[in-house]
Amino acid sequence: MSEQAMAAPRRAAGTLVAVSAAILVTVILLAIGSPNPARALTSFFWGPFSNRFFFGNMIDTFGLLILVGLGVCAAFRAGVFNLGGEGQVYIAALTTAVVALSMPAAPAPIGILAATGAAVLVAALLAGLSGLFRWAWGTDELITSFLISAALVPTVNFLIVGPLRNPDSNLMTTVRVAGQFRFLRLLPPSTLNVSVGAAVLLAVLAHGFLFSTLRGYELRMTGLNREFARYGGVAVGAYTVLPMAVSGGFHGLAGAFFVLGTHHAAIEGFTAGLGWNGIAVALIGRNHPLLIIPAALVFAYLEAGSRVAGLQTEFTFELAAIIQAVIFFLITAEIVLPRLRRGRRERSAP
Amino acid sequence: MMFNGVEIMTPILLAALGGLFAEMAGVLNIALEGLILIGAFTGILVAAATGNLAVGMLAAAVAGGVLAGLLAWVTSRLKANIFIAGLAVNLLAAGMIPFLSTWMFGTKGVLRFPDLPRMPRLLVGVHTGLPLLDDLLFGHSVTVYLAWLTAVIAAVLLYRTPFGLRLRATGARAESAVVSGVNAVRYRSIAIVVSGVAAGLAGSTISLRLGVYLPNISAGRGWIALVAIYLGYRTPMGIVIAALLFGLTDSLAGAAQGFMNIPGTILLGLPYAITVVAMILYSAIRSTKPRRRRRRIDAHF
Repeated sequence: MSEQAMAAPRRAAGTLVAVSAAILVTVILLAIGSPNPARALTSFFWGPFSNRFFFGNMIDTFGLLILVGLGVCAAFRAGVFNLGGEGQVYIAALTTAVVALSMPAAPAPIGILAATGAAVLVAALLAGLSGLFRWAWGTDELITSFLISAALVPTVNFLIVGPLRNPDSNLMTTVRVAGQFRFLRLLPPSTLNVSVGAAVLLAVLAHGFLFSTLRGYELRMTGLNREFARYGGVAVGAYTVLPMAVSGGFHGLAGAFFVLGTHHAAIEGFTAGLGWNGIAVALIGRNHPLLIIPAALVFAYLEAGSRVAGLQTEFTFELAAIIQAVIFFLITAEIVLPRLRRGRRERSAP
Repeated sequence: MMFNGVEIMTPILLAALGGLFAEMAGVLNIALEGLILIGAFTGILVAAATGNLAVGMLAAAVAGGVLAGLLAWVTSRLKANIFIAGLAVNLLAAGMIPFLSTWMFGTKGVLRFPDLPRMPRLLVGVHTGLPLLDDLLFGHSVTVYLAWLTAVIAAVLLYRTPFGLRLRATGARAESAVVSGVNAVRYRSIAIVVSGVAAGLAGSTISLRLGVYLPNISAGRGWIALVAIYLGYRTPMGIVIAALLFGLTDSLAGAAQGFMNIPGTILLGLPYAITVVAMILYSAIRSTKPRRRRRRIDAHF
């Protein structure tokens, strides 16, 4: 425990350094790569606040990031790894669209519940499957969750650009879902909608579950020390499969909200990056449901900034992936600030 | 089919052999995919600039090694989590290559290098009378033989040298290795760098054989290589067989696409599907006990 306590300030420094480094790298790349660096940098930093559209979209992303962050957190807390978030969000989004489109005349509550429920279920099953294999045969859930997801993404692409494509649209998209299923927009013309409130509420509920219930305690114990938890009578097997399923479920919810709230249809590749962002958010928030809220806000700002910078200068590239990369490199590192350096040399063994 | 399968297996084999070093030292290196991508990009760029394939491959190996060195540094010195930092390498490759490509060539799409020398072939026209055996052994790109040679070298290094013994000791039981005077952190770092060098080389064999660079040219081979390590029972010869199986399946799938009328888009997921099924079957049959890896992400704050 004392090692943990000692590591805390280093890890806090790590978070700060990681986010700062990500901003620094972004600034450098925009300055090198953009034909108009001053304009690109202004758009990056100020763009998300420059009008209602960009601002609303940023807050919309914020809500989705909370959900995927919670999803990643659910698995991390139990000591398992869900690397399939990318695909789970995408498949869930398609499921939402398909279910909603299959019942265009249904009353709003029924249609929304059915579409969302199906999306959550599908994503939970996909992730839970990896947990099940891990529990039954020790198959590495980190690899299987990634591979299952990666195997299915091309099929989703095929369905959206092929059989389910809206022939009247120039975009690779399905038909838009019926009007009564669409979430209330809060700041038109942006995509911000009421689902952001649900996301914040879920973060608070997740916090309550994790820190104020027996199941939450058992889940955390399993994640901290599986053998110790088993010795203490915790059914650790259940905490391998269920957290994976819950993790998938949160990703599924994000996919459902992305369709019903943000886009009203499933578009080819439209969820790309959301799964990786969830890992970044969970790590910035130190796997703490309440800290995930500000972490999601920071990341939504970075993401919105890079999107605006991309829109307003002709130079577009995968800035989001680079931001993620820099954060992932440093976020779990124990950055030793000069004042803390003393006493570190002794610990060279792993 | 056999002939193509052998060519397809080469990058998987090279990356898996490098990954075996990391695996033996107790590190699951999930960055192979990104390292292959970096190798493919660097390799073809340098080869086109110098007009020399060997120089390109060397540059790819160096690029992979340097990036893996960075990974080893953040995980050993800064105690970063290997999986998260490994993901960083994959995302860095996915983000930086389009950036560099746009910066240098004005496009993040396909890069063609028409003046690139062709990959030389060895033992062309040698026959034994058995067509299948001929296809397996003769007339392949020089990189195929390089990969086989690497398998032999890997086997010798891992099982016949003090270096290999210490590396394996690090992975088997780090505490005992440290007590016996082995610098476990150093061996783990070396193993990660070796896997980076091999993955970079693997990447260059993909792009140099084709003579073009395509976005996401690695197409999951890094992940397949990781699974090939398990399927090959964590031995160099086993990995050769596992990689060949993946190569054969891949070339079979390519052929099947023609007469079975499966949409090409769906087939993009096939390598991943085959890999995950193989991995699940493998673990179900062996039913290995869950290996204890320190997988926790610091949950305290």
